[in-house]
Amino acid sequence: MSELNLVLPIAVPIIAGILVLPFRAARGTVHAIITFAVAAFTLALSLALFGSEAALSVPWAPFGLDFSLRLYSFSAFILVAAAGFGTLISLYAAAFMRGKEKQNQFYGYFLLTMGLVNGAVLSDNLLLMLFFWEGLLVPLYGMIAIGSEKSYRTATKALIIVGASDLCMMLGIAMVYSITGTLTISKVSVATGSALGSAAFILMAIGAFSKAGSIPFHSWIPDAARAAALPFMAILPASLEKLLGIYFLSRICLDLFALTPDSWLSVLLMALGCVTIIIAVLMALIQKEYKRLLSYHAISQVGYMVLGIGTAVPIGIMGGIFHMINHAIYKSCLFLTGGAVEHRAGTTQLEKLGGLRAAMPVTCICFLVAAASISGVPPFNGFFSKEMVYAGALERGPVFYIFAVIGSFFTAASFLKLGHAVYFDRKGDGMERVREASPAMLIPMVALALLCVVFGVWNAWPLDTLIAPSIAASGVTPGETHGGASVFLVVMTCVALGGAILNHLSGYHITRRGFTAVDHIHETPGLSWAYERAENRYNDIYDLGKRALVFCARLLMKVDRAVDWVFERLAVAAAYATTARLRALQTGNYSLYIVLCLAGAAAVVAYLVQ
Amino acid sequence: MIDDLVVNAALCMLMTAAAIWTVVTVRLLRAAIGLALTSALLTIVMYRFGSPLAAAFELSVCAGLISVIFVSAITLTSRLSSDRLNQRESEVLRRFWFLPLLVIIAGVILYKTSIPIEIIAFEGKTAAQDDVRSIIWNTRHLDLIGQIAILLAGAIGVVLLFKERKHG
Amino acid sequence: MPTLLIILPLALLLILNLPLLRAARRVSFWLCAVLALAQVVATATHMGGLIPDLGAAFDPYIVLQLRMTGLSEVVLLAIGIVVLASLFTARAMIADHDERFKFGNLVILAMMGLNGTALLADLISLYVFIEITAVSSFILIAFDRDSDGLEGSFKYIILSAVATAALLASIALFMMVSPDTSFAAVRAALAVSQHSFYVNLAAGLLLCGLFVKGGLVPFHWWLPDAYSSAPAPASVLLAGIITKVSGIYALIVVSTSILTVGGAAGEVIMVLGIVSAIAGALLALGQRDMKRMLAYSSVSQVGYIMLGLGSGTALGVAGAVFHFFNHAIFKSLLFVNAAAVEGSLGTRDMDRMGGIASKMPVTGVTSIIGFFSAAGIPPLAGFWSKVMIIIALWQAGHQTASVVAVLVGVLTLAYFLSMQRRVFFGRLREGLGEIREARMSILVPAVSLALITVAAGLFFKPVFSKIIMPVGEMLVK
Repeated sequence: MSELNLVLPIAVPIIAGILVLPFRAARGTVHAIITFAVAAFTLALSLALFGSEAALSVPWAPFGLDFSLRLYSFSAFILVAAAGFGTLISLYAAAFMRGKEKQNQFYGYFLLTMGLVNGAVLSDNLLLMLFFWEGLLVPLYGMIAIGSEKSYRTATKALIIVGASDLCMMLGIAMVYSITGTLTISKVSVATGSALGSAAFILMAIGAFSKAGSIPFHSWIPDAARAAALPFMAILPASLEKLLGIYFLSRICLDLFALTPDSWLSVLLMALGCVTIIIAVLMALIQKEYKRLLSYHAISQVGYMVLGIGTAVPIGIMGGIFHMINHAIYKSCLFLTGGAVEHRAGTTQLEKLGGLRAAMPVTCICFLVAAASISGVPPFNGFFSKEMVYAGALERGPVFYIFAVIGSFFTAASFLKLGHAVYFDRKGDGMERVREASPAMLIPMVALALLCVVFGVWNAWPLDTLIAPSIAASGVTPGETHGGASVFLVVMTCVALGGAILNHLSGYHITRRGFTAVDHIHETPGLSWAYERAENRYNDIYDLGKRALVFCARLLMKVDRAVDWVFERLAVAAAYATTARLRALQTGNYSLYIVLCLAGAAAVVAYLVQ
Repeated sequence: MIDDLVVNAALCMLMTAAAIWTVVTVRLLRAAIGLALTSALLTIVMYRFGSPLAAAFELSVCAGLISVIFVSAITLTSRLSSDRLNQRESEVLRRFWFLPLLVIIAGVILYKTSIPIEIIAFEGKTAAQDDVRSIIWNTRHLDLIGQIAILLAGAIGVVLLFKERKHG
Repeated sequence: MPTLLIILPLALLLILNLPLLRAARRVSFWLCAVLALAQVVATATHMGGLIPDLGAAFDPYIVLQLRMTGLSEVVLLAIGIVVLASLFTARAMIADHDERFKFGNLVILAMMGLNGTALLADLISLYVFIEITAVSSFILIAFDRDSDGLEGSFKYIILSAVATAALLASIALFMMVSPDTSFAAVRAALAVSQHSFYVNLAAGLLLCGLFVKGGLVPFHWWLPDAYSSAPAPASVLLAGIITKVSGIYALIVVSTSILTVGGAAGEVIMVLGIVSAIAGALLALGQRDMKRMLAYSSVSQVGYIMLGLGSGTALGVAGAVFHFFNHAIFKSLLFVNAAAVEGSLGTRDMDRMGGIASKMPVTGVTSIIGFFSAAGIPPLAGFWSKVMIIIALWQAGHQTASVVAVLVGVLTLAYFLSMQRRVFFGRLREGLGEIREARMSILVPAVSLALITVAAGLFFKPVFSKIIMPVGEMLVK
């Protein structure tokens, strides 16, 4: 296996993307075929590469910035997963995007995303990785922006949030460089004990968090769910960005910094994970729109991964990574069902949908499987990874475990509501003529749903071939982890799921509509106030920052204007004395300018002379 | 033989007076003359203080060019009636009565708190003592070319700005 | 070659203005463009070591005490490129032959002043050549003879007078301690009388004069008015190169070859750099006038250059020089695009634009490249120079400044994004249905400048190791 093959998964999609981008197409068939072919090629290539180890290093630019790539168990695993999702979703997109506007841009950005993700995963140099990582901003911005007329606002928001956290990562990388003197990932090892080390860890983790979409860097995702085309949601926030973010988070925790259970950073990660789980799932619970509800779950599930990796005990880490791949499978499957429903029914408002079970049986079954997975119903894959995360959390402290189980309860409740409202319940208006989705859309859905089952029933297989070697390469011994966990955990999970069903039934009993079944939680006195604030974006980090910035800018502008104003007034009298024409020229600011210049000069001179 | 100090002091005072007049006057032409006068006096002061090179440059650049631009500004502007001018002038004079006082006070303060000169003298001749002619003609071709270019720029500027606009 | 760079523009100017050669005036634009192009080609090939010094045979006949260094080459290249861009813009924006001829005259004069500044090694010459550039630009700003232009020009004149006074005073003070005013002699003399009051006073005045010329906060008052009220081709020249060479390049040269970098002067430069970077960016955020926003953005970018210079390390100074070059390119590009937009829409008010990228695709795309480079998005050239500066600051122990530099990058992104959104992106504003893409002679410089930005970024490795870093190491010996 030649080392140069490592360049192919990066170069082929990027070049194809750049080639596809400029050519407009009415139907986009050619674009779709090219994209699918490239994705399938990448998948075949990464499968061929899987299991081998290779490294490529070419000196490129100064400051230790080499073009170095490294393929080993973990990166090969992510590579295969990313290519797999790319292939399935490109197939789906071919059906979904047909006849839509700006297809060339969509497919171009899609391919660019694939190439850049592969680049970021394979990089063995922090700056090179940063290059690919930041490069992802371009397709991210583009894909949201082409969604609809008003998408620019959301795209800008995403760009600023992710861009700002990428800058944090850049600072973190600079710190790592100053501590260790190297940028090669496989050589970096930093102790988290020192203040600088901790700061570097936190800064780099911020970058990973925002890529994965954890709170408080999540706020663009639900907006994008409304604004952007659906395959975008399935490819970026649901799968590839999660893969990349969590992959990098585990690299940070396992390789770059040896995170130990006794470190306060571990507690910080777990706390952040719990907060993300609870807040996002509570927000998801009250959503009345298919895609937006899913997008909040995409945030909430990140909490489990962060919690799992943050435990810093082997079973938790394995659970976190297993949950990452499981999540990518069932969440993209869920998004795809949402897309199928949108495509056929023309709306994703829960209020208008209903009773689609008969019209779209395959979609419905796929949804049920994926929903059961995300809720943690045995024997689907989500159950096992969640159990592992629970086991890890319980080992570190009951508090974290309790939060995680509560999150599970709400997850189940909200999917009961979603499924009930969309597929069961009574038929909504205008739902009579809805048909089953086309085969190109069904194949990816079914494939993903099957994976949910396979990864659940035969969970030992992915754990042994994919996850265990990945973390073993970082020196973590997997231990005996198969088949879920203790009886206590399973019982507790069943209790949570049962509670969710009871809750749903009681809510349904009150309102008789599926989509209002959890309104009693929404209207709970304390919560309704918090919900109102959250819906009005009082807590959105982006809006807060924007407000502060605008305030500063206004303030400075005011000072500028105020100074101007003072001298406009003072200078009026002097201006009368000169000719009328010159008065028009002379606003009278000159004296002020000279005075200020001289004051500045006096300060400089005084500093130099003292 | 009048004392050097007296002459220098008188020149400096004259220069200050000319400068204040330039600032205070409301007639642009007078201001231009005031500026030229200030520059000329400054040139003399520089020459007397033993810096003929600086003096030559001051004369050519400040007195020459800035005045040219000033004059071009005058031609671009229209005039007030002389009654209004006089009225404005007395107003401005009333407003800036404190300027000469300020200069005198500043002078006194500077004199009282005179900072001791602590330059470690350069061994041998410093630039300030060179002969201006030999400097300009022997070693400073570059600056001579530069001066020519400045004058050219000024000439182009005057031609350009004097000319009436074609459209309206 | 150095001699030719000064003599040829002057000769061309004199020849063009001979009364007998009125016919030549119609082709004056092409003659000027050829001169600028020749400078670009000669400098580029000289830098690449492709040809020996073309004008060397000419040098012995006129004693001009010039010095050609790696730094001068970078600056001369930037001068040639920006002058070309400005001439092409003038061709599109100034319809009248006679007017265009006069514009060409002034640009050539300014170019001569800039070339001289880039090549000289003497304080008095520095003053003289800065003055040539300044006088030409006074007239260029007022070129349209409208009241805005005259006002902008007057502001520049008045504040330049302050700078001139400071420069002259400092030269006079230096002459009291030094045998002549060449950089080397002054530096040697300063080494003897280092802590004297008057020497420090002179250094401070020198710096302040150049701060005014370079438009650093709080010496920047003339800059927004001058940039925004000047006619379009003049503001390309002014923003792209004039203030940069006569202020920033001069600061780089003075602080490296006369003063010692990293000392108290370095601290002053650093503080002003931080203040300029922040204040410029925040002021740019609140602008509606496109050119005014670009002007404040210049203030902010100049702050970056100052940060690199103030770090005092070879990497930092190299970063400053590279950012100097990049800024010349992308800021001219943005001003050329502003000219294109103004030419098509007849306004600079960004609130009255919107969605014009669909009508002016080339302008839209090149403008994105320019702003990406300004905001430091990889792999464009602006990214590399900013990274160099940030790394240098961090290595030199100025962590705060490095963090500030990163944060200002976010601000830069914010205001340029707001500009793109208001001007180019989104839905085409009503009433703009009739606009068309700018003329070819504006698109040519826009596309070329964009290509340069991309190329300098992509070929960063050779550019860095062959050209930029040696310059930094030469300056910080």
